[in-house]
Amino acid sequence: MRSSRFPIVAIGASAGGVEALTALFRGLPPRPHAAFVIITHLAPHRESLLADILVRHTDMPVAEAHNDQAIEEGHVYLIPPDAVMTVADEHLILNERGGERNPVDIFLTSFALAVGDRAVAVILSGSGTDGAIGVKAVREAEGFTLAQGGSGSQPGHHGMPDAAIATGFVDCILPIDALAERIAAYIDTFEKQPFGARGDGGKATEEIEEARTALCAILRERVGHDFSRYKPNTFLRRVERRMQVRRIADLRGYVAFVKDDPEEATFLFRDLLIGVTSFFRDPEAFDCLARLVIPEIFAGKGADDWVRVWIPGCATGEEVYSVAILLREHMRTMAPQPHVQVFATDVDENALAVARAGHYPAKLLERMSPDRLERYFVREGRSFTIAKEVREICLFSCHSIVRDPPFLNLDLISCRNLLIYFKTELQNQVLPLFHYALRPGGFLFLGISEHVSQNADLFAPLDKKHRIFRRRDQPGRPAVFPVVAQTLTGRRATQPQAKPVSGTEVVRRAETVMLDRFAPAYVIVDDDWNLVRYSARTGKYLEPPAGVPTRNLLAMARRGLQLALRSAMHEVVKTGSATRREGVRVECETGVQTIDLTIEPIPDKGGDHFWLIVFADVGAVRGRDEGVAADWPADQEQAFRQIEQELHQTRERLQISTEEYETAVEELKSANEELLSLNEELQSTNEELETSKEELQSVNEELHTVNVELSAKIDELDRANSDLKNLFASTRIATILLDRTLIIRSFTPAASGIFRLIQTDCGRPLADIATFLDYAGLPEDLKSVLSSMNSIERQLTSRNGEAHYLMRLLPYWNSDRRIDGVIVTFIDVTDMIHVGQQKALVAELNHRVKNVLAVVTSMAAQLARRSTSVDEFNEGFLSRIRGLAQTHDILARHEWSDVALDELFAAELSAFVGESGRAALVGPKVHLRPRATTTLGMVIHELATNAVKYGALSDDNGRVSVAWALRLDAEPPMLEITWREIGGPPVKTPERKGFGTELIERSLDFELGGTARIDYAREGLVVTLAIPAIHAVHTEGGTNEQIHEPQESARH
Amino acid sequence: MSRSTNPRRVLVIEDELMVAMGLEMLLTDSGCAVVGPHGRFDRAMEAARNEAVDAALIDVNLRGSKIYPIADVLAERGIPFAFLTGYEKETLPERFAHELLLSKPCGPQDLVAAVARMCERSLVRT
Repeated sequence: MRSSRFPIVAIGASAGGVEALTALFRGLPPRPHAAFVIITHLAPHRESLLADILVRHTDMPVAEAHNDQAIEEGHVYLIPPDAVMTVADEHLILNERGGERNPVDIFLTSFALAVGDRAVAVILSGSGTDGAIGVKAVREAEGFTLAQGGSGSQPGHHGMPDAAIATGFVDCILPIDALAERIAAYIDTFEKQPFGARGDGGKATEEIEEARTALCAILRERVGHDFSRYKPNTFLRRVERRMQVRRIADLRGYVAFVKDDPEEATFLFRDLLIGVTSFFRDPEAFDCLARLVIPEIFAGKGADDWVRVWIPGCATGEEVYSVAILLREHMRTMAPQPHVQVFATDVDENALAVARAGHYPAKLLERMSPDRLERYFVREGRSFTIAKEVREICLFSCHSIVRDPPFLNLDLISCRNLLIYFKTELQNQVLPLFHYALRPGGFLFLGISEHVSQNADLFAPLDKKHRIFRRRDQPGRPAVFPVVAQTLTGRRATQPQAKPVSGTEVVRRAETVMLDRFAPAYVIVDDDWNLVRYSARTGKYLEPPAGVPTRNLLAMARRGLQLALRSAMHEVVKTGSATRREGVRVECETGVQTIDLTIEPIPDKGGDHFWLIVFADVGAVRGRDEGVAADWPADQEQAFRQIEQELHQTRERLQISTEEYETAVEELKSANEELLSLNEELQSTNEELETSKEELQSVNEELHTVNVELSAKIDELDRANSDLKNLFASTRIATILLDRTLIIRSFTPAASGIFRLIQTDCGRPLADIATFLDYAGLPEDLKSVLSSMNSIERQLTSRNGEAHYLMRLLPYWNSDRRIDGVIVTFIDVTDMIHVGQQKALVAELNHRVKNVLAVVTSMAAQLARRSTSVDEFNEGFLSRIRGLAQTHDILARHEWSDVALDELFAAELSAFVGESGRAALVGPKVHLRPRATTTLGMVIHELATNAVKYGALSDDNGRVSVAWALRLDAEPPMLEITWREIGGPPVKTPERKGFGTELIERSLDFELGGTARIDYAREGLVVTLAIPAIHAVHTEGGTNEQIHEPQESARH
Repeated sequence: MSRSTNPRRVLVIEDELMVAMGLEMLLTDSGCAVVGPHGRFDRAMEAARNEAVDAALIDVNLRGSKIYPIADVLAERGIPFAFLTGYEKETLPERFAHELLLSKPCGPQDLVAAVARMCERSLVRT
C-alpha cells in the first residue's frame, strides 16, 4: 500500500550548487526509492549542462523536466532555464519565468500543498533568501526539511541555507555528506512508518492511544499546554514527523525519548502548533482586529498624530503586511490621515531580508481576497510583491525583545505565535514589557494558542476567543521599568503575580499609598530627559504638548518650570549631587503655583542614569495677577512690567524661531521621505543585482565544470590523435583520405608507394597525382562511391606487373552520418597472389597426373582383355607407355607449345632416317598444336611399332615414305599425311582388328575430328591420315602462317 | 516395352579416347549399351538432350569447356549422372554438391556399381 507512496525530494540550490549537488548525489545510493526535483537559478536562454554533470554521479535518469510530466520514482528532474515550475497532482507544470526571482519558493510552496508529508525540501548553497518561504510551506504541510550547513564543510554561499534556517522550520542542518546520508536514511525509513494505517481499528490502536495520552501528559507538564483535545490524527502525524527527524522507529521508544530529553518536548510542542503561515492567518481573529481595535486606534487622530504599531518576531513578514493592510484599509476611510508606522522586528537578519523584500509566491496568497490582492500587491510572474503603499509604512529592523529596549507609545502590539516559543519565565518578562511599551489603552494581539493568564493584571481581554487584549492602566502596580527593572533589580519580572501577599508586600503597598497621598509629586527621568515614571498628581506641573506624543520632560513642563528644570538639571549632571531651586513659579491651569524643585540622582548599578525630580508646592495656587501682587512689593511693579514686556518680546521671537524650526523639520521630513523611497528603490535594484549575480555565479560554475570536462576531452582527443598518427605512420595498408571534391586530405606513408605522393600533396586532387597502378577507372569509381554511397573493391596490378593490390574505396562518414569524402585503401596482396598461383599449379598438376593415370589404367585394362599372354601384354603395354612418354618429352621440350611434324616422325623413326635412308619425310614445314601432337604421336608410334614388328622395317630391305601436304582448298582445310611402306614382306589383311588399328582409326576422329584410312595393299601398307588444318601451323618460308584460330586450348 | 529385357543405355562423355574406350569396354562387359562416347561439347550436348539413356558418366572438363550446362540438361531430364574427374569435389558448383562424383582413375568395380545404382534410380523414377 505504501510502495506507491515514495518521497519526493526537492532540492533548491544556486551559487555553489553544482558542487553541492554532485557531492549530494555521490553520497546517495545509486537508485534510491524516491524522486528528485532540482530547482536552480539558471540564466534564461542558456542551456544548462547540469544534467550531463549529475548523470555521472547517479544511476537514475537525469533530465530536464517538461510540462505536465508525471513525477516517477527513481528519476531526477531539473528545472529548465527560463521556466518556473510548480506541482499539480503529481505532475510538474512549467510556466514562463517572466522575471521571477525566487523559483525555489515558487516550487516549494506548490510542492508542499500537492505532496504533503511526502515532501522533502533540501536547501543547498546559494546566496539570497530564495527557499526560506518554501521551506516553511513544506514544514507546514508536514514535510521534512533540510539545509546545508553545520560544522565541517560549509556551503559555498550561506545566503539561502541561512535564510531557510532562520525561519526555524528546518529539521536538519548538516554538512553535505551527512545530508546525503540523512536523506537516504529518511527515504529508507519512509516505507516503514510506525503507525501503518493510522486510525485503523485493532490492537495497534490501543498502543497508539496509550502513547498519545502519555505524550499529552508530558506536554502538559513541560509546556503547560493541553493537547488532549487535539485531533488524534493531526497529533499523531506531527509525532510521526518528529520520529522521522529523530530517527526513532517505534512509538514507545519516542515516548521514552521525550521523557528523557527536555528539549524534545519543546520541539514537539512547536511542531504541533505549526499552522499554515499565510496572510491573515486565522481570518476571524483579523476580522475582529479590524472591527474592534483599528478604528479605536485611529479615533480622534489628526494629520499630525501618529499611530504606532509594533510586530516583534515578524519572521518572513506575512503578519506585518496583514496588519499593515488592515491599517491601510482603515486609513482609506479617513479624511485627514495620521502618520502610521509599523515597526517589524526580528532577531534574524536573514528572515528580515525575506520580509523586507515583500516578495511571495502566488501559492501563499491563494486565500487572499482578489480585491486585496489587486490593491495591495503587484504581480510579478508567479509571485507577488507587496505594494509600495503598504511597504512604506513598515519599518523592519533587527531587534530582540529580550535584549533590546522596546518601542514606546504604541497603539498596538501584534505578537502572534511567538510566545509559544518562550518558556513561562520569559513570557512573564515579555508581557510586562509589552505593557510598558503600549500607550495607555493600547492593544495586544496574540496567537490563538497564547494567553496572558499569568499577567491578567496587565491586560484585559477585549475578545477572549481571538486573543485581543487591552492594556490595563495600572498605576498602583509597580510593574514599571520592564527592561530597566530587569537590569536594576534582576528578580522582579520573575516574581509570579499570583503569589499570596506577603508581609513585606503589605509594607510596600502601604508605602505606595503613602507616596501617592502624602508625598510631593515627582517624576523620574533618564539621561535624555525622558520620563520613566510619574508619581500621582504631576498634572499640575506637566502637560502633554501638542503634536507627537512625547515623554520628554522639558517638552512637557508647564510654563515657568522649563527654565528652572534645565538649569537645575545641568547643575546636577555636572556636580553629581542633588540640587534645589526654590520659589519657582509655574503657570498651571488654575493660576500660578510656586514650588520648590528638587533634583536628585538615583544611585545606579548598570551604567544607566536616572534622576528623581520632586515638585514641592509652596503655598496654594493663586490667580495670575494675585500671585504677582502678593509676592512682590508695589514699587517693584514697574520693573516687573518692563521685564514682563521683555519676556513677552522674547516669547514672540521664540515663537518665530519655533515656527522656523518646525518648517525646517517639515522640510527635513519630506527630504527623509524622499530618501526613504530612494532607499526602497536602491533596495530593489540591489535585489535584482543579487539575482543577476546569482545567475552569473551558477553559469560560471557550470562553465567551470564544463571547462574541466572539455580539458579532459581535449586530452582524450590528443591521445586519440597521437594514436592515429602512430597508426598512420606504422600501417602498411596504404590509405588516402579524400574530401567530397576528391582533394587529398591526408595519406599514410605507405600510399606513396602507389601514388607519387609527397607531404605537400595534401590539398591537391588525387587525379593530378601520378600512379604506378594500371587503373584508368579510378576517377569514375571515386565518383560512383560518392553518389551511390557503396564501397567498391578491386584487385589491381602495378604497371610493371610485379605488385598486386586489393583496393577498397569506402565512403567517409562524418559524425552526422553524412558522406564527407572517400577513403582509398590498398592492401598489398602480391605474396598472396603468388601463393595462390602456386596452389593452382599444384592442383592442376594433380589433375593432370590423375588424367594420365586414368589413360594408363584404361589402356592396361584394354590390353589385358586383348592379350593372350603376359609377355604379349608386357610388350604392348610397355611399348605404348614409352610412346606416350616420348611424346610428352617432345611437348615438354617445347614447353607444351607447337611441335614440328617432322620432329614427331623423326622421334619414332630415329633409327631409320638420316644415313640409312630407310625412312623419308617429305612435306612443308608444319607445326602441330599440342593436342594434335599427342594424338598424332600415339598414331605414329602405333604405325612405327607395327612397321618394325611386321612391316617394311621388320627386315633389312623395306623402307617407309612419309609425305604430307596442306589442302587449303578443301572445306574445311586439311592436313593430309600419307604413310607408305615399300619393299617389306607381303602384307595380309589381319583377321581381327588389333588394338593399335582401333586406336589409329578412332583417335583421329575422336580427338581431332579427322579421318584415318588403312589400305592393306600387298606390296606395302598405305595409311592416309587427314586432320583439320586448325590443329596445325604452316611455317614455310620463315613466316608462321596461322591457318586457323585454334578453338581449344591444349589440355591433358 | 520392358526395360529389363533390354540393355541399360549409358551415355559416356569423355574427351580422352583411351579413357573413353576403357569405359566403353567396361560398360559393354557389364551388359550396358554405351551411347557415345562423346569427346566434343556440341556432340555431347546433343546426345544429352536427345538420347534416351538410363544414366550418364560425364567428364567435368571437355577440352577446356565445363560440362555443367550438360549436367543441367541431364538433371532437368531426370537422368542420373555421375561426374568422372580428376578434380576435387569442392571445385563443383554448389548446385551439384549432392551429385555423384567418381574420381579418376576409377576402379572398375566402383564404376560398374555406381552405374548400376544410377540405373536403379532411373528405373524407379520411370
